[in-house]
Amino acid sequence: MSGLLVQMLEGTVTSLKVFFLTLLFSLPLGFVVAKGKMTRVTIIRWITDLYIQIMRGTPLILQLIFVYFAPFYVFGVSYDRFTACIIAFVLNYSAYFAEIYRSGLQAIDQGQYEAAKVLGFTKAYTFFHIVLPQVIKNIFPSLGNEVINLVKDTALAQTIGVAELFRVAQTSASRQFSTFPIFVAGIFYFIMNYIVSRAFAIGEKKMNYYR
Amino acid sequence: MGKMIELENLSKSFGELEVLKSISVSLEEGNVLSIIGPSGSGKSTMLRIITQLEKADDGTLTIDGSTLFESIDGKARYVDLVEQRNILLKTGLVFQQFNLFPHFSVLRNITEAQMAVLKRPREEAEEIAMSLLKKMDLADRARSYPFQLSGGQKQRVSIARALALNPKVLFFDEPTSALDPELTREILKVIRELAEEKMTMVVVTHEMNFAKATSDYAIFMDGGVIVEEGEPNELFGNPKMERTKKFIRSFSE
Ligand SMILES: Nc1ncnc2c1ncn2[C@@H]1O[C@H](COP(=O)(O)OP(=O)(O)OP(=O)(O)O)[C@@H](O)[C@H]1O
Ligand SMILES: [Mg+2]
Repeated sequence: MSGLLVQMLEGTVTSLKVFFLTLLFSLPLGFVVAKGKMTRVTIIRWITDLYIQIMRGTPLILQLIFVYFAPFYVFGVSYDRFTACIIAFVLNYSAYFAEIYRSGLQAIDQGQYEAAKVLGFTKAYTFFHIVLPQVIKNIFPSLGNEVINLVKDTALAQTIGVAELFRVAQTSASRQFSTFPIFVAGIFYFIMNYIVSRAFAIGEKKMNYYR
Repeated sequence: MGKMIELENLSKSFGELEVLKSISVSLEEGNVLSIIGPSGSGKSTMLRIITQLEKADDGTLTIDGSTLFESIDGKARYVDLVEQRNILLKTGLVFQQFNLFPHFSVLRNITEAQMAVLKRPREEAEEIAMSLLKKMDLADRARSYPFQLSGGQKQRVSIARALALNPKVLFFDEPTSALDPELTREILKVIRELAEEKMTMVVVTHEMNFAKATSDYAIFMDGGVIVEEGEPNELFGNPKMERTKKFIRSFSE
């Protein structure tokens, strides 16, 4: 019994690692992708668009397998499953975040940029102090949805053999002929997403002081 | 009193569309210039070129003795970026749609550029902001957010925001067009008071009576050219050109 708990805790830590590492890299990277899709340079826009289409148009599970196995079949090199898992998640989530950022950026009134320019703010100052706070407020609800999806999607890491929580739960469930471990895993996902949605609700409320 | 603005032969096209066709305007320091004209005549474009929101194709512009661009071989050659910015800080622009920053309080809307651009210490910036708000009769709204204000109040805040940077010349692009008649009056009063204090201003407006009473000089634009210009009493009271007559008549009905 205690062995099971230790295993499940380890699985939980792995799931949390996938979750946080994905956010750490894809939140900023999504921004770069959004900028790529909005650039005037046609070739860059075309490539980013294709990238986003692929990431959103194919299953994450397939992308995981591709990222892990493609280097082996093409170059004959294999690498760490966990690294492959993070790369696949980051590639996938950057595309989704990019689309969210893009809609948020496009919703900013042109007049905000013009007022900032006339007042003498630099481009960087305008972005970080005038535009970004408003973008974050606009996209916060959609960002929250995506982060909740990510919590659930971490379970897909097992596809390439990463011992995250759900895999651990499934393995011990079949070993013990009991659904109990699955149930425990379910509680974890539920709690995790409860925390995420509460955090986003609090954030939304904090930004409610203006319209 | 010197020249504040000297604009010569300004031309601008958007693609095939010639929006400004060799426009020349000059304005003395301390004077108020009104610009009237139908929609699409190029009024905003002219203001936006002077306030550096658009680039000129050809022409020469000198503001307060500093040249922003000069016509060389039929093209507007701009001065370097540092100088462009110095000249930018001589101008202020008030928009029809106010364009306040919604996530900043009224006070911060007015202090932010003072601190970030002019590097004024917070205390000084807030003092200046408060005295401007008092002048705009809005001292009690300093902690409010733009969404809590009426259109007229928003426009007064945006005027205070522009004034806080001590521009040499202030431009207004239809500052009352988004407002009810009631609120229009309160904005026109503010501009009139600024005129009495000898603030140099350029006002694009459809308020003929205001333009006639407040400005020192008036211009009627149509189709990218200045059709007629002169003393406001002459231009509004006794226009010479048929197009001017028709336009002014359409607004006094
Ligand atoms: N960025 C742009 N790209 C293309 N065309 C433009 C652009 N800005 C303005 N125009 C066109 O230039 C012409 C002049 O526009 P402008 O806004 O200067 O007119 P206006 O006199 O200010 O009119 P209004 O009274 O409606 O404000 C219009 O035909 C307009 O459609
Ligand atoms: Mg206009």
